[in-house]
Amino acid sequence: MLRKLLVLAAPLALVLVIEALFAAGAWERLAEPQSHAGTSLRLKRALRDPATGRIDYVTIGSSRPEYGIDHTLVAAEAQRFGRTHADLTMPGTHWTSAGVLVRWLGREHPEVRGGIIALSAQDLAFAYNGYYELGILQPFRRVDDLAWIAARIPFDMHDVASYGVVSALFAWRDDVRAYVIAPDQRHERIAWQDTHRDPHGILFGNPESSGDMCRWGVESLAACDRLEATSSDDSAGLRRQCRELRTRAVDAPDFAAGQAAAVLPAFMSRTRDLVRAQLEAMHWSTPPVVILMPMPHIWNDVLGRGQHEWAVAILQPLADTGRIHLVDATGFFDSDADGGCGSFFDFYHQNARGRERFTQWLLPQLQELLYQGDPGVPASAAPNQGRLRP
Amino acid sequence: MLFNSIHFIVFFLVVLALNQALRRWPTAQKLMLLAASYYFYGQWEWHYLLLVWFSTLVDYAIALRLPKTPRPRRLVVLSVIVNLGFLAVFKYANWLIATWNGTAGLVAAPAWHVTPIDLLLPVGISFYTFQSLSYTIDVYRGVLPPRRNLLDYALAVAFFPQIEAGPIVRAREFLAELDGDQRIGFGDVKYALVLIALGYAKKLVFADNLALVADPVFDHPAGLSFAQTLLGVYAFAFQIYCDFSGYTDIAIGCALLLGIRFPKNFDYPYAAQSIQEFWRRWHMTLSRWLRDYLYIPLGGNRRGDARTYANLMLTMLLGGLWHGANWTFVIWGGLHGAYLAFERAVLARVRWWNAAHPFATALRVVVTFHLVCLAWVFFRARDLAGAHAVLANLARPEADANGLGGLALLLGAMFLLQQVGARLHYKERIAASNGPLFAGALAAAMVAMAWFAPTHTAPFIYFQF
Repeated sequence: MLRKLLVLAAPLALVLVIEALFAAGAWERLAEPQSHAGTSLRLKRALRDPATGRIDYVTIGSSRPEYGIDHTLVAAEAQRFGRTHADLTMPGTHWTSAGVLVRWLGREHPEVRGGIIALSAQDLAFAYNGYYELGILQPFRRVDDLAWIAARIPFDMHDVASYGVVSALFAWRDDVRAYVIAPDQRHERIAWQDTHRDPHGILFGNPESSGDMCRWGVESLAACDRLEATSSDDSAGLRRQCRELRTRAVDAPDFAAGQAAAVLPAFMSRTRDLVRAQLEAMHWSTPPVVILMPMPHIWNDVLGRGQHEWAVAILQPLADTGRIHLVDATGFFDSDADGGCGSFFDFYHQNARGRERFTQWLLPQLQELLYQGDPGVPASAAPNQGRLRP
Repeated sequence: MLFNSIHFIVFFLVVLALNQALRRWPTAQKLMLLAASYYFYGQWEWHYLLLVWFSTLVDYAIALRLPKTPRPRRLVVLSVIVNLGFLAVFKYANWLIATWNGTAGLVAAPAWHVTPIDLLLPVGISFYTFQSLSYTIDVYRGVLPPRRNLLDYALAVAFFPQIEAGPIVRAREFLAELDGDQRIGFGDVKYALVLIALGYAKKLVFADNLALVADPVFDHPAGLSFAQTLLGVYAFAFQIYCDFSGYTDIAIGCALLLGIRFPKNFDYPYAAQSIQEFWRRWHMTLSRWLRDYLYIPLGGNRRGDARTYANLMLTMLLGGLWHGANWTFVIWGGLHGAYLAFERAVLARVRWWNAAHPFATALRVVVTFHLVCLAWVFFRARDLAGAHAVLANLARPEADANGLGGLALLLGAMFLLQQVGARLHYKERIAASNGPLFAGALAAAMVAMAWFAPTHTAPFIYFQF
């Protein structure tokens, strides 16, 4: 009888072995370098590179801080205090992937003492940002992260995309499918990637960016009509974003009404609780600096009513008790005559000019909140500079 | 309820557990299976359960009366009228009305226009009416005594693994299973698991992904190249095979786990060396039904060549029409009828064509496959214009197959697998193994499903029939 049961259970056991291999990273060598997971892997390899050495501070966040903060300047500023500050921002990062990354850093780079978590007011509507976030966090997750992730990203029996919450086989599904369709191209990209490794560039460099939105005269959602009438390839990305933002504007929940209600809507209280729990559980020796990244003025048409206030309402109590430092830079470019369009190359991302301005404003605050405030930094290393204001 | 849904998997596990628990109480076990079957069918549209019940009760009552009545033929005709009447109303009425309206339009008589009936086609109606009909006809012929136990007969009609898309299990086969020993051994369990796992893999990994290739070719054929169209037709050939045989494998596997053995329904049809052999390998339970309840009663091949060809053509035309109310299905059936008649009239007399040489064998397999594919064009096309557009693309051969190499390779491999599978009988071999082959094959099927099942899976093709 036992033998029969073993025979019947053997296929399942074999699937579990394959699942374990995937969870342990067996597929990572073949992963698509251009995907979300591929970006995570590049970062993970850079962080594990022997040349990387000690890391004291990190910047974690989405593509907004990836483009919106001058990471070279930040690293240089930290360097003046004898510290290293690495850029770990990745497109698509949201609260859940940021949390998994922090947990991974706790295991692999326990020397990290603090850093920045840079998202936006828009990112406090929910505690996760869609199932694609599973691709971002997959290379950093461990089996014991399951409960933490499952508490944030809902598993839906009827949606295969959500199965990645509980299974590495499913998390790598799209990557495997794409590989099977075009294995040769994948191998070429992996080979190129292997010969162009630049851990230092990944951790301390800035991405290329150019152009500005003013060129397209986009200062309000209404201007999207004008943009839609154009057919230029240069504005194709903006047109796509216009369509996305218009949909968001229509679907945006009313956060003001939610906050005014006798009982907070479930999704709001859930997000609030999860984000606060995540920040309160941070093991860094200095409180994290949570930055609400600047948004061009046009987002005022897109965000739900009271959404910015809601984001602040989640974070401010933590700032008041000293668990985090809150830097609310949402309206950083609002006072610009052009509504900030000259500092962004699209609806989400600052160009080099916007990045420079914002970072120059941010650096003194980082000095104060991170480097100077860190008891591990010798007083003689702390320069005395005034705070820049926007 | 779809086999390819989590809902079904949970449902089946519950039914399986109850079936095991009730093994010592056969009546309770059958009642549970019948209730489960009605629940399964009712999940789709519970109102149409009334049709199943009506059909069951009518045929049950007729069968009981048949041995006692001096005019049994009248009762059988009544059973045929009731069952085919349902089919006519639900499946063919609107098609006949549209054809009538088209004809009325041609003769410019708008006053004769008939308004179509707003009816939803009941899932599985073509299958369970044929199963039910086989019962009264068999009782009439005296090959099966009428069943006094209504529960047994109701279960034969509604048993959930088969009610929606077959296989078409004749009542006498099903009732014999109910009367026999329903205990299953370890080998049966393994074979059932192999069938279920590979059935799901065929559907989710192959059929649903091949649909992504075939659907655009048939839905929007304009502007497609010869190579794109040809591969789209091949893709459909394997899509429908994987879809329908996958469904059947799951049905047979589920039934086996419940102690009921269903007849085989597919046997590597694309390894057939003739159209006649194709029909002995494709949807075998329908072929048998058409042969035993239509072709042979029409006279079969006993009344001379001309009558044989006519019988073949009529049988296949009605077989085509059984699939759906559309002229495309009629042409599909007509083509198969013509193929069968041609084989019998001409090819059977050509010596080199029938030689045992491997080259001749390969040629027969390839030609048969392409004839079947040609007929699939009509089967899959939305209408005659769509079929014409696909065939027009195929009438302009060109060598440009850029970017289609991978797909061609996959389809070629599937074709070869049919040839190898027909000789190796891999499902039986996997099930017979207690070692790595069994574990590896099932694990591979599960992993492949995890990776390659589309996010939104489609219903089985034969549900629409």
